[in-house]
Amino acid sequence: MASSTSLPQVQSDNRLLSALNIVPGILLLAGIGYAAKILERSVNAYAKAHHWTFPNIEYVLWAILIGLVISNTLAVPKIFHSGIATYEFWLKLGIVLLGARFVLADVLKLGGISLALVVIEITLSLALMTFLGKLFKLKPKLISLLAIGSAVCGVSAIIAAKGAIDADDEDSSFAIAAILALGALALFTFPAIAHGLHMNDVSYGLWAGLGVDNTAEATAAGALYSDAAGKVAVLAKTARNAMIGFVVLAYAIYWSSRGQAETVSNKAAFLWKKFPKFILGFLFISLLVSFHTFSKGQVGSLGNLSKWAFLLTFAGVGLRTNFREMSQQGLRPFIVGALGEILIACLTLGLVVGANRIWGL
Amino acid sequence: MPTPMPPNPAPTVKPYSLSLDTWAVIVALVLALAVRFDVLKNVPW
Repeated sequence: MASSTSLPQVQSDNRLLSALNIVPGILLLAGIGYAAKILERSVNAYAKAHHWTFPNIEYVLWAILIGLVISNTLAVPKIFHSGIATYEFWLKLGIVLLGARFVLADVLKLGGISLALVVIEITLSLALMTFLGKLFKLKPKLISLLAIGSAVCGVSAIIAAKGAIDADDEDSSFAIAAILALGALALFTFPAIAHGLHMNDVSYGLWAGLGVDNTAEATAAGALYSDAAGKVAVLAKTARNAMIGFVVLAYAIYWSSRGQAETVSNKAAFLWKKFPKFILGFLFISLLVSFHTFSKGQVGSLGNLSKWAFLLTFAGVGLRTNFREMSQQGLRPFIVGALGEILIACLTLGLVVGANRIWGL
Repeated sequence: MPTPMPPNPAPTVKPYSLSLDTWAVIVALVLALAVRFDVLKNVPW
């Protein structure tokens, strides 16, 4: 009897403890984000006052750099770990609130173009990664994970696929490490290439959304170029994320037909389970804005709340990127991933240039 | 002699938990409501 009455007390204590556990890490994310904002303002003001020619380094890059320096030079104490892991929550919150900065007509136009490009990108990426994986004699399920991760949406897609195709832990950590390492490189290479090619904000945003795998890195790579490019990158990446269920379902059916994964009995339920629900929140907020539910000032406030949420995400992207840990995951999956990503980046760049000629982005 | 059936395990109540996506949508909607009804005004950047 005693145990049944004390159970809810124990559960609520555990929940309270785990809620308190995340506080130090969230404070660290907020501290890094705020420091990045101050650095952006003060470094630019100092350079201007001393008539220096100094590139305008935005808060996005400062937040990522501070996080990278901390995670790669100091051992981040364990007390911060669970709070740092909330960066994914801030990312999704930021995306839902970003819906306020799109009227539905924009979502339909840009989202329609993105979706058409996404279908082509996914088909070509899956074929390319499968070919490269076989060429380098990787394990079949590791090939599937790398193909899904690079075609759809990075880490979330790999985690969703891991259970569905019954892949082992080692394969999924290889694939995740390769995707994260390449995402970190894309943060610096994509904006540099785009500046070299003088791409406009919409074209670059589409390219970042289609070519960078992980949602956090795609958002950051877009924001590093410009605010407008960041918006488009999120929209294109969201269109890509929407396809996660279909791709994972196809792979689950393939592996179960070979007797190496469980059969999917209810396909509609499977698709709904894998569908990223935050996309619905994004569309709902965009719908409210399209029907003038908010005043202009209120739309601005929602946009700023989205930026604050992204600021914590960018700090988290830097903090969770540890190059030493990634280098320990083996070279072959990384080489396959890197080759595939370079080819996919060229391919998606070609797609965006083509779309620009057809639709005049 | 039939072997006795093992006793049924005690039913465990799995606490219902929401996904990260759902939490993000809920928090965003609460913030949107707070902005709409001027609880949060002129959020700075």
